[in-house]
Amino acid sequence: MTSKKKSVGVMPLGNISEIALQVIADHIAGCFKLTTQILPSMEPPGVAFDERRLQYNAGIIIEAFESIHFGNHDKVIGILNKDLFIPIFTHVFGEARQGGKCGLVSLFRLMKNPDGSAPPESLIHERAAKVALHELGHLLDLLHCEHKKCLMHFSGGTDEVDEMSLDLCEYCSIYLQDKLR
Amino acid sequence: MDKKMSIMVVDDEAIVRESLFHWFKKYGHVVETASSGFEALEKLETYPFQLLFVDIKMPGMDGIELLEKIKTDYPDTLVVIITAYGSIESAVSAMRIGATDYLLKPFKPDQISLVMERISVQKRLVSQYNYLKGHLEKITRFDNIIGHSQEMEKVFNLIPEVAQSDTSILLVGETGTGKELVAKAIHAESLRSHLPFIAINCGAMPESLLESELFGHQKGVFTGATRARKGFLEVVSGGTLFLDEIGEISPKMQINLLRVLEEKKITSIGSRKPLEIDFRLISATRRDLKKEVTEGVFREDFFYRINVIMIEIPPLRKRKEDIPLLVEHFLKKYCQETTKYVDHVTRDAMELLRHYEWPGNVRELENAIERAVVLSKSRTLRVEDLSFIRPPGLQFSQTLPLREMEKAYIQKILVENNWNVTQSAKILEINRVTLHKMIKRYRLERPEG
Repeated sequence: MTSKKKSVGVMPLGNISEIALQVIADHIAGCFKLTTQILPSMEPPGVAFDERRLQYNAGIIIEAFESIHFGNHDKVIGILNKDLFIPIFTHVFGEARQGGKCGLVSLFRLMKNPDGSAPPESLIHERAAKVALHELGHLLDLLHCEHKKCLMHFSGGTDEVDEMSLDLCEYCSIYLQDKLR
Repeated sequence: MDKKMSIMVVDDEAIVRESLFHWFKKYGHVVETASSGFEALEKLETYPFQLLFVDIKMPGMDGIELLEKIKTDYPDTLVVIITAYGSIESAVSAMRIGATDYLLKPFKPDQISLVMERISVQKRLVSQYNYLKGHLEKITRFDNIIGHSQEMEKVFNLIPEVAQSDTSILLVGETGTGKELVAKAIHAESLRSHLPFIAINCGAMPESLLESELFGHQKGVFTGATRARKGFLEVVSGGTLFLDEIGEISPKMQINLLRVLEEKKITSIGSRKPLEIDFRLISATRRDLKKEVTEGVFREDFFYRINVIMIEIPPLRKRKEDIPLLVEHFLKKYCQETTKYVDHVTRDAMELLRHYEWPGNVRELENAIERAVVLSKSRTLRVEDLSFIRPPGLQFSQTLPLREMEKAYIQKILVENNWNVTQSAKILEINRVTLHKMIKRYRLERPEG
């Protein structure tokens, strides 16, 4: 018996390059074997902007999007080029809650190397794909993993994102298969 | 080692609680939140959180006060202080009180990962330390014999001394005092420790069975003896034989054993061929065998043969200072066995445990703790959890007016102390003059004779 393949929507929040969106959608389809669709663009809610920190509060955006019905999509990953934070942290590359419906990826800090230089566009896309897959992993209830190369390993800086592979480790793969069954 | 921990986030700001809650969930930790120090203490009462993230600035009870309380009541619980820029001084004082680490908010995501990594290393080291400490304690404190009272120290000092010789030992003590544990400790300390230790309860079997168990029998000597069987005196070969309740054996068996001890030979039932044996005898009794010898109930020659060295094991009521240590030991034991987590005893409950007379001694205390752990609904044992313990002195089968009860109680204490007024007043925690007045008021009289 085969179960229905899960569907993931990739939604630009603001003006995001089509190539970036396509790379992310293709990686989700290729790595997690899920159906993907690029959704029409939406604006991040203004209330999520923290004037003191000049950053967007990821928790508020997620809460706002969780209440929206996104057609047949089981999960939605929002992509934005604004700087994201959650209240305890200085910044986050992405955010998603365990088993939630919507996750976020911010390209803002992925566009800079740790030394301040600008990376090639292809590297930015690869980083974005990794963060999107990581956040989607959380939406599918995967936990942070200790294996440094695993997609579910926590990365605090872009150097760690670069070190991470585009694959899940053996254990997380099995866990994902169970979750998708 | 399992790196998953039980964590509580204590912060009055919902947004911070929520952020950390979701963050730790991503690592598979068990996470709970509390919006105040009071709520945190309430939750700690019911669940053994290993790690707390505590905001320093909270209304009511601040983070420092909460940290102090945690370090007093739950010293093993780790606390990480969260503080804003500008309050570094409080963070430093928190570290002095015993905080494991501190975080300045907002922090970089990898800072919290570093803190968690350090905690994981610390947890591993603590667990290794506890394992080795426990192992060392087992080696030096004779396994499960617990106590630091003077009476027990005497026993502890005697064990290694007597273990080295091969003389017979008689352990005297009430039921449940741990005679078998002492026997095992002597065996473990002796040169025979690599050889068998066999324990037999002489009071638990009829004479014929005991004889067959000790001496063995040949095939067909009695109904049911379908094959030859070696006796424990032979099986123990070279080891230690522990005969519990030696005072219960019959005069005939006393003679048989006396012969064995003198000749170091046995002849199994139905056989004529004597067999040379070698063992060390440790006997135990709860009876006053000396008195029974005088009364002619117990054989004098046998008594002196088994009683080369006598070790008296004190009843629990004579070493009440050991009760907290024993309670702690049994709590740990039954938490492991029942997978429940009870690691605290309220002062009142401990008082009740200390004041009870424990006629069944350590065994009764152990059973009481096991029962209380199984039935307890929180991590703290309270008087209610020990409601099945009824100090005999406080049991009244009939309802009495307070005046009558006071009279009866004073009389009881006076009788117990042979009408020594000074001693009785001390126990009743009143002064001597008051006691004299009460004796007069209640017309209490010392019985004659």
